[in-house]
Amino acid sequence: MTQSKNFRLFVSLLAALAIISTVRLWTSQDALTSSDTIGTALRLTVPILLAGMAGLWAERCGVLNIGIEGMMIFGTWFGAWGAWQFGPWAGLLFAILGGVFGGLVHAVATVRFNIDQVISGVVINLFAFFGVRYLSELVYVGKQGGGISQSPPQKWALPRFNLPILSGGQIAGWKSPDFLGWLELQRWFILGDLGGISRGLTHNLSWATVIAVLVVPASAWVLWRTRFGLRLRSSGESPVAAESLGVKVNHLRYYGLLISGGLAGLAGGTLSIVASSYYRQGQTAGRGFIGLATMIFGNWRPSGILIGAMLFGYAEGIKLVASDSITALFLFIAAISGVFLVVAVIRRKRVQIAVALSAFLLSAIAYRTVDTVPESLTQALPYLVTLIVLATANQRLRPPAMAGVPFRPGEPH
Amino acid sequence: MQSGSAKSSQTLSAESAHVVELANISKSFPGVIANRDISLQVARATIHAIVGENGAGKSTLMKILYGLHQPDSGTIAINGVITQFKSPSEAIAAGIGMVHQHFMLADNLTVLENIILGYEPTKYGVLSLGDARKRVKELATSIGVDLNLDLPISELGVGQRQRVEILKVLFRGAEILVLDEPTAVLVPQEVDELFTNLRKLVANGTTILFISHKLDEVLSISDQITVIRQGSTVSTVSPKMVDRLKLAELMVGSDLPSHGKRTTLVGEKIQLSTNKLTVLGKDRKNPVENVSFKIFESEIVGIAGVDGNGQFELCEALLGLVDIEGTVEIGGKDASKLSIRERLDQGLAYIPFDRHREGLMLAASLWENSLLGHETSLSRGPMIDFDAAKKSCREIIDRFGVMTPNELVPAFVLSGGNQQKLVVGRNLATAPKVLIAAHPTRGIDVGAQAAVWEEIRRSRDAGMSVLLVSADLEEVLGLSDRILVMFDGEISAELDPKSATPQILGKYMTGTQ
Repeated sequence: MTQSKNFRLFVSLLAALAIISTVRLWTSQDALTSSDTIGTALRLTVPILLAGMAGLWAERCGVLNIGIEGMMIFGTWFGAWGAWQFGPWAGLLFAILGGVFGGLVHAVATVRFNIDQVISGVVINLFAFFGVRYLSELVYVGKQGGGISQSPPQKWALPRFNLPILSGGQIAGWKSPDFLGWLELQRWFILGDLGGISRGLTHNLSWATVIAVLVVPASAWVLWRTRFGLRLRSSGESPVAAESLGVKVNHLRYYGLLISGGLAGLAGGTLSIVASSYYRQGQTAGRGFIGLATMIFGNWRPSGILIGAMLFGYAEGIKLVASDSITALFLFIAAISGVFLVVAVIRRKRVQIAVALSAFLLSAIAYRTVDTVPESLTQALPYLVTLIVLATANQRLRPPAMAGVPFRPGEPH
Repeated sequence: MQSGSAKSSQTLSAESAHVVELANISKSFPGVIANRDISLQVARATIHAIVGENGAGKSTLMKILYGLHQPDSGTIAINGVITQFKSPSEAIAAGIGMVHQHFMLADNLTVLENIILGYEPTKYGVLSLGDARKRVKELATSIGVDLNLDLPISELGVGQRQRVEILKVLFRGAEILVLDEPTAVLVPQEVDELFTNLRKLVANGTTILFISHKLDEVLSISDQITVIRQGSTVSTVSPKMVDRLKLAELMVGSDLPSHGKRTTLVGEKIQLSTNKLTVLGKDRKNPVENVSFKIFESEIVGIAGVDGNGQFELCEALLGLVDIEGTVEIGGKDASKLSIRERLDQGLAYIPFDRHREGLMLAASLWENSLLGHETSLSRGPMIDFDAAKKSCREIIDRFGVMTPNELVPAFVLSGGNQQKLVVGRNLATAPKVLIAAHPTRGIDVGAQAAVWEEIRRSRDAGMSVLLVSADLEEVLGLSDRILVMFDGEISAELDPKSATPQILGKYMTGTQ
């Protein structure tokens, strides 16, 4: 069973690779799978991924967390402050603590005082936005390069590295060959793309990125393989049942929200420490909400969230690195929607057929007629792609059954 | 994690005659005395039934035994040792397990996860799933249960879910099993299976406390029966010494109203009818498929069926809550296009499936609850007529014998039976032409049940038509003038209650005939 599942996954990945490789060769848009694009995409994926994981931890324990955006804002500000004062690693720690603070506020409000979870989240977003502006006024105004809406630049950056042998990393001072870079330059069908993608994932990596990606398997392991994880999930699925078995639901909801806040804070920290070297107002730019969208897309599962976040990161990455390739991307979308269309017709799902067909036609027409894409459209592209994928990937969504429902222990039910 | 120490102390005191000994337990909640001086002794490896009307205090007593409530006075002795349980986990540690009336399961978690939750075998906090699986399999085999442990609970049927609950309790090493109304949700065949499992359990040395108000079942399964009335123990009897009627009298404390043959005739006029009624299922099978029936004036038509075979959707369709194909006629006029309000004005009334979800505002006062649906008649212009509303509520309380201090208390302080009497009263008070009664006596005691049945019969004799939806076969058989069986969204049989038996009904209800 799992074997055939893995095999299916492998085949569909290979098929997607073949399609995009064909499109690349046909349109000569090498940027579609260049290591540059993929590297940028990975950097853009990380904050969304972490925001999605923050959402996962909160909802799995039974609390909606609309406040992820706000907790990320805490992360950006405190992270930048810590990095400015004590260096980048301390900065990341401060970012996590800032987010944990946000998570604690949310936990006290929703678990202790039973305030409506959505309202609490919205208030945290507003409070974070104006709260850090006030802090900036106190701390940053008057410092060299700082002001009410941004922090002074940090002096140090986090170390980056290349993977030895594959991507030209150094082993004890010896510069190893950059095999994947060489492969990428050959531009062969599929192999060239594989080289570009792998090099993008292994080249000029920040340690923070590695940590962020490790959050995914770590969360999956904790949630599904440990006692703590099972109890935490039961608090989100059926708190009444959990309580009847002696599980302390509200304690677990506290833990879940603190972890959620910490991950959201880390997401903010990667924005102000890794992706740039200073805090700027509005740096999160709604990524907390996009993270929540990837959580839904990912069906409240870590692996699904990873895929959703990568998809979004890729669309945004290509927009930044090579806006020329956007037209080629249209072709790619057309090809993928074509495949979806065939599947939908075979399965006779009317809604899916309609969505896939219109996506196919729109992107095909766009590719044939559009030479230059207006700036505003390229801005919207990642959101558009997310929307299309969300609509076509019809799946049985399984949110935690009791996420969003307050729980008062010991009440008659 | 609770380890071997608790277990070994149990085996040491195994000679003690009574596994559970409750002495002089009293417990009161604000305004209500739930238990008054209750004493109870349960012998090892027996099935001990506790029967009583709803609101008699059975559930409270069991919650005290399970550590969910603490008694105001009195003692609990387990295996001869006096103990106090501050929480369920302490009761679990002492070997007490409870299967709740409403299943305590997480739908999205797997069978295995549900069973081990709260008592997980672990190594450094990491679940030992292989070990857990092996132990659960062994337990399941020992009581004759076959389950796929990796399915999510949402894919199991009611009977299977109950097995999961029992396994869950046994997995914790429970030697005393409390079953709260275990047969309320099962069809006869499933009840037989459950009883087979329970007998195996008792043979293995488990002691079972069986709470029920289905007297036939109690008589057939238990070794001892304790009757509780109005919070106090009435007596403990052996099932060999009593019959059904005697037991019911002990429970209610007075002679039961008899079923009574009907003296009036079914009318000529069709009051409610459907023609090829279909409720469209959006992504699934149509929940109601091609259902046609007629109900005459002064007639009760019972719909028997296992929950989830389209009865709920049928009621929604009759009320106008969902889109339908086909037609619904009320009082001979096409009502398919009418709004809910207009249908109610045509003389339709509805006793909903779930009094908590659809029938009552639990936090609102009784008079506000009895006002629901009658706002137009009990108001002056746009303003509610408080005096008239309260007066009408008092009338309902008197006529239907709702036990309550007054009409101003919130609905949640009443017991289930009294809540249901209020809901029934609200719908019968205005003398509707057609009553849709969905599970009108679910989860209420014999006394309240008899009162509700009597009122429905009286209204029927006065000309009302009734569509009775129920999973309680005794009710369907005893009350209906005609029985329809619903299976998988369709009417699978039409039967005469005089010749039908629970076994025949059960076969149609499960689609085996």
